[in-house]
Amino acid sequence: MDKTLAHLADFHDEAPLVKGNLTFHDITEIVSSHTEKKTPLAWYGAFGLALSGLMLMIVMIAYLFWNGTGVWGLNNPVGWGFAIVNFVFWVGIGHAGTLISAILFLFRQQWRTAINRSAEAMTLFAVICALVFPGIHVGRVWAAYWMLPIPNQMGMWPQFKSPLLWDVFAVSTYFTVSAAFWYVGLVPDLATLRDRATGFRRKIFGVLAMGWTGANRHWRNYEKAYLLLAALCTPLVLSVHSVVSFDFAVSVVPGWHTTIFPPYFVAGAIFSGFAMVVTLMVVARKVYKVENIITLDHLEKMNIVILLTGSMVGFAYIIEFFIAWYSGVQYEQYAFINRMFGPYAWAYWTMMTCNLFFPQFFWFKKLRRSIPFMFTISIFVNVGMWFERFVITVISLHRDYLPSAWDYYTPTFVDVLTFVGTFGLFFTLFLLFLRFLPMVAVSEVKGVLPQADPHFYDHEGDGHGADHTLDVATSEKKTAH
Amino acid sequence: MIELPVIDSFAANEETPRSRYWRSVSQFENSAEFQRVSGEEFIPGASNAPEGATRRQFIQLMGASMAMAGLTACRKPIETIVPFSHMPEDRVEGVPVYYATSMPFRGALRPVVVESFDGRPRKIEGNAEHPESSGACSFFEQASILSMYDPDRKVKISHSTVDSDWGSFKSFVSQLSASSKIVVLAEASSSLTFAAARRRFEERFSSVRWVTYEGAAGNAATRGINAAFGTSARASHSFSDAKVIVSLDSDFLGSVDTDSVSNATGFSASRNVEGSQEVSRLYVIESGYSITGGMADNRLRLKSSEIASFAAALAKAVKAYEGDAGVHANHSWIGEIASDLTRAGSTGLVVVGDNQPAGVHALAASINSAIGAVGTTVHYLDAGDNAVDFDAEMAAVNADIASGNVDLILTLGVNPVYDFPGFADLYSKVAERIHLSLHQDETAQLATWSLPQTHFLEEWGDGRSRGGVHAIVQPLIAPLYDFAHSNLEIVALLGSGAEQFGYDLVRDTWRNQLSGDFEKAWRKVVHDGFNAGPGFSAVSVSVSKAGVQSAMADVSVSAHSGIEVVTRLDTKVFDGRFANIVWLQELPDPTTKVVWDNIAQMSPKTADNLGVQYKLEGGKYITDRVKIEVGGGSVDLPVLIQPGLAEDSIQVTAGYGRNILSDRAIRSTNFFDRDEHTDVYGNGAVSTGVGSNVRSIAGPIATAAVTKSGAGYMVASTQDHGAIEEEGKIVQKRGLFRQATVAEYRANPNFVKGGEPKPIREDWSDYPTLWQESHPTKTAEITNSNYHDYQWGMVIDLNTCTGCSACVVACQSENNIQVVGKDEVSRGRELHWIRTDRYFVSGDGASFDSPQMVMQPLPCQHCENAPCEQVCPVAATVHSPDGTNQMIYNRCIGTRYCANNCPYKVRRFNFYNWTRTLPETVQMAHNPNVTVRSRGVMEKCSFCIQRVRQVNKTANLESRPIEDGEVVTACQQVCPSHAITFGNVADPNSAVSQKRTSDRRYELLAELNVKPRVSYLGRIRNPNPNLA
Repeated sequence: MDKTLAHLADFHDEAPLVKGNLTFHDITEIVSSHTEKKTPLAWYGAFGLALSGLMLMIVMIAYLFWNGTGVWGLNNPVGWGFAIVNFVFWVGIGHAGTLISAILFLFRQQWRTAINRSAEAMTLFAVICALVFPGIHVGRVWAAYWMLPIPNQMGMWPQFKSPLLWDVFAVSTYFTVSAAFWYVGLVPDLATLRDRATGFRRKIFGVLAMGWTGANRHWRNYEKAYLLLAALCTPLVLSVHSVVSFDFAVSVVPGWHTTIFPPYFVAGAIFSGFAMVVTLMVVARKVYKVENIITLDHLEKMNIVILLTGSMVGFAYIIEFFIAWYSGVQYEQYAFINRMFGPYAWAYWTMMTCNLFFPQFFWFKKLRRSIPFMFTISIFVNVGMWFERFVITVISLHRDYLPSAWDYYTPTFVDVLTFVGTFGLFFTLFLLFLRFLPMVAVSEVKGVLPQADPHFYDHEGDGHGADHTLDVATSEKKTAH
Repeated sequence: MIELPVIDSFAANEETPRSRYWRSVSQFENSAEFQRVSGEEFIPGASNAPEGATRRQFIQLMGASMAMAGLTACRKPIETIVPFSHMPEDRVEGVPVYYATSMPFRGALRPVVVESFDGRPRKIEGNAEHPESSGACSFFEQASILSMYDPDRKVKISHSTVDSDWGSFKSFVSQLSASSKIVVLAEASSSLTFAAARRRFEERFSSVRWVTYEGAAGNAATRGINAAFGTSARASHSFSDAKVIVSLDSDFLGSVDTDSVSNATGFSASRNVEGSQEVSRLYVIESGYSITGGMADNRLRLKSSEIASFAAALAKAVKAYEGDAGVHANHSWIGEIASDLTRAGSTGLVVVGDNQPAGVHALAASINSAIGAVGTTVHYLDAGDNAVDFDAEMAAVNADIASGNVDLILTLGVNPVYDFPGFADLYSKVAERIHLSLHQDETAQLATWSLPQTHFLEEWGDGRSRGGVHAIVQPLIAPLYDFAHSNLEIVALLGSGAEQFGYDLVRDTWRNQLSGDFEKAWRKVVHDGFNAGPGFSAVSVSVSKAGVQSAMADVSVSAHSGIEVVTRLDTKVFDGRFANIVWLQELPDPTTKVVWDNIAQMSPKTADNLGVQYKLEGGKYITDRVKIEVGGGSVDLPVLIQPGLAEDSIQVTAGYGRNILSDRAIRSTNFFDRDEHTDVYGNGAVSTGVGSNVRSIAGPIATAAVTKSGAGYMVASTQDHGAIEEEGKIVQKRGLFRQATVAEYRANPNFVKGGEPKPIREDWSDYPTLWQESHPTKTAEITNSNYHDYQWGMVIDLNTCTGCSACVVACQSENNIQVVGKDEVSRGRELHWIRTDRYFVSGDGASFDSPQMVMQPLPCQHCENAPCEQVCPVAATVHSPDGTNQMIYNRCIGTRYCANNCPYKVRRFNFYNWTRTLPETVQMAHNPNVTVRSRGVMEKCSFCIQRVRQVNKTANLESRPIEDGEVVTACQQVCPSHAITFGNVADPNSAVSQKRTSDRRYELLAELNVKPRVSYLGRIRNPNPNLA
């Protein structure tokens, strides 16, 4: 009866990550079947809706291109409105996936395997939504590529001191690396689908799986690549939103010019990203009947992250106020008073309620394990985080230094419908993903199945490899020698 | 017609040679036969037919007849601008030429200099050489360039609404019977030529009633002075010599004042605090809130209808009046003002607003005489002003028309159907109605003959300035529309029956005016724009107490109960004549900041009493409307609540509610194409439908019944309304506008430093700037540049700036700034590069109901550490070697990051393509030296870099340094108070550097360490310490 401590720590003191005593084949079957069966009618309905949203966005952008930035509600003091708010919002959403995949991978948080694939997909699609905006928000869209350091006959480089330029680099790098990370993770599962498929699908997956055979060498290279990419992604998760926050922090606008912004933005991004994952997973696990893979335990863990990051964000809100007072800079002080009591107070209090107040319910275990409740809260957090960006961008700009220049920003229907349209883009991509690709990382989940434990079939194959009759003292004594 | 002495003199100077060579006798004798033979290339008959037309003659004739046939399609060439066969000396293509001319305005000529690019007049500025201008001018002159290029101008002659032509009109004129009973309505004119033409006209027709049409302007001042002195005289004020000034409802610094420019220049001189001389003190008693009220040291808000009583009390206090002073006989201010005035004696001055009745003007004349101001601060000039009661004259005209005693009515440039209440019906009763006007306006639409008028830049004329200096009006361009004629030409045609040309008429007049060699003297006049010489002579005046008494007889001095409505001429569109000038429509009113509308201003309490209110909805000023009824007339106007107005006094302005028909095609666009947003010329004449015509309510001061008539009307303004009390505190706390009283300033000359926001610990300068290490201005490219020797900077003196906003229009004209329309302004998208920030100040002796009003012009501050530059991702805004911050338009992609990061919010973004659909004529007013910006590009004040570079070039070619004062920005040039100084701050002796050493100097938001190149000089008030 040689038992190692590893046995204790790895599996047996925690509840299993996959419920329902599923076998390896069950996992493959559950996940793959959705990409193989006849497309359900509901999917067409959902896809049609999403596609109309996407079309709406395209029409709005065409309208914008044809007429000019004036179709938005921007004005003189408020030069950035919905476009930048949406950009930061979507980039923020795009944080959870890579965080779950990369950082939690490095920290050996095995529970991530159930959700990392869809979270990463969500990340990519959210970043795609975000990337729509920097391109279209400029006045002369046909010249937007001048932000890129392309050699030209004038010898003109972009202006490297501009945080907007840093943004271009940060977000594009983040997107590229995230995409690579996601694809590398997909390869074994694509091979599984290839092996199950016939005809044309087999050819497509054959190309995408890049000749994966499941050979030992393949696995070794795969694990190394995945680890390296995870290591590469980890700083990017932190850097991308830090850089986005520099757009604001580097300026002189009271309410923007704040050193707390980088960590505060990153925390906010994780907060909103996790909320989005919860929103999507709560629905998807039900619809695709993967409750045994994406279990309530997973959701609870995500809710804990939401509680943690929400409190960090709330702390940042309060610290901003304290610093505004403590700095003695009257512009800063006014900017924050104006947030609370100015004409946009409604936006501020929406943000505070959604981001600081509601997540606090997750202190209660019962509530954080309640599906309807967490769904509601996650929606609130998404709304709150959108408003956080609105508060920062618009409220700070609309009243800055000279009262004579103060004005008010009201979005137009184009602003609103473009934002609505980005959800169309997002869900179009997400539904395509759900339809054609494995929404759960099959190979990774198999790795955390109880059955994956080499000793799973010891002890009469009861499915409980460890000897639970052993008391702790014995085991300690045993490991001591 | 045109005398060409150059050609004539060439012909005359052909010299006879000393010796001659000849070949035959007939050549020596130059016989007819020799001439016949030698005149041809070949001997006669060798190359052409022996009889009839030769081949050459035939072709010549044919060419000529074809040319003539073609000519019939052209208009008759009058004073045509022809291509150069001899290029004039000093002319360089693309380099503008400047011509001096004058703008006729309210019976006087305003001296201007017009910049002309390749024969295209482009910008109007003051004539610096003219004794009454010093280079400044009001925005009316500047903006009038746009009235010439107005795409809504009348192009055709119409006869009973059918298109006609000039010939038909001429034949109509020639058939007029000499016994026709004619009424002429024409503006006052100082033109000698016009007077002569008028005489001939009056000689030709036996019955002519000629009315000097005053319209909404009125002539109360002339009548009042006439009453006081028994002689007609024009008051000319010399504010520079005044130490105590009392303004009774007079906005003498505002654009509507006939002498606004010289008044502002004089007033600013009297406010000099740098020396030790006494600073003038300005008392303003008014019902509205004018910019003059903003400059007041002590301001009293009083109903306009009670100002007569105040004036009477004041006159009594200085023993200039014996009648009853009425309700304000014992007003607490009377004693103080009277003793100040008496102390000032000859340096005292009382001025009265045009809307006050003649009696109050008579009182002022009496006070000025009593304190001995006549001859120092006020001069009464013999200008031949019309002292006839205009209303009585018009009543007589109306009676004549009603009784059918008028056969023909001639209206010259005036618009009585629009601005004389009830005239429209009578007008149509006259059989023949000839109307000359720039637009197809209200009167033109009812006229039988509607003739297009020339703009003053297209016509010859003459006249006298306000002070009486003889000047000419010369055209800069042939009339844009063939049928256009001047007032002078029409009257001359009617007077003689034959067509006469302005040029000939004016020259004929001036032949008698100029002594010595006429041609030489004439050329000098045409060059200078005026004939230097004495102006009007002063008349010696003595007050007739009885005259004053009788003028006051019909003026009420009792307390006014109920609500008064005061109709004033509009600061921007005047009496409506400038209503179609989009620059003026979009110019924020200097005090209310309202654009594209006329409003009923009232105080917050009055609004409360009337139950009207406003709300800010999405940053827009949404307000109630009121119906104002006076006698039989009524007008419905949106309410603007403005603090500082007298209670129960409603201020309205004339000049809106125009109805002009435009020939311009109505624009139709696809549903997805928001072209109606791309400029203001979308639909009909631009002024049609803007605001309401208030002329149906009797003015200028009347008791009105006011009722709320509606709600939810949006008034567009360039400054966010509301939060006035809060704003005032913020302005104070942030030290944006710094001021002190004279006493405080003398005690503490460094008072402006007290306004600096205090850092908590370290000094502001201890905080290093971002990018301090490799600051762009320290790079070799910049320091080695030749431009680096000059570092441009500006100082704006808040002590003399009145906020008149002439600079805004000058900038607009110089820098091709586009007009965006009411809707876009309400969204905060106006494009003005310089704005005049208006703040109300309460506390410190001023209550919320009666706050002070201060003005602060704000161009780009050209920060040395410009926050805009470091955030632009494409380096589209950069520092020039001469220390200015410049936009590189074609590099800008429009991220708007720079605008966000500008603490002064002076950057302006082109949200739409404002120039794509601009009518061609409007484009002609563009400055070719300044890029016209496309959609999606940021723009802002450039310190008139095109002017700087022009001087750079000139100085460089002449290998000399740039002199101080050689570069003049557009805003600086027109400022009548000389509040703006511009120059090289690297030169310690330059005027701007001198100003920068002033102890009143401060920089706006200096604590941000952006190091603005624009600095401000704090304002000094001189209030009477005894009056709170």
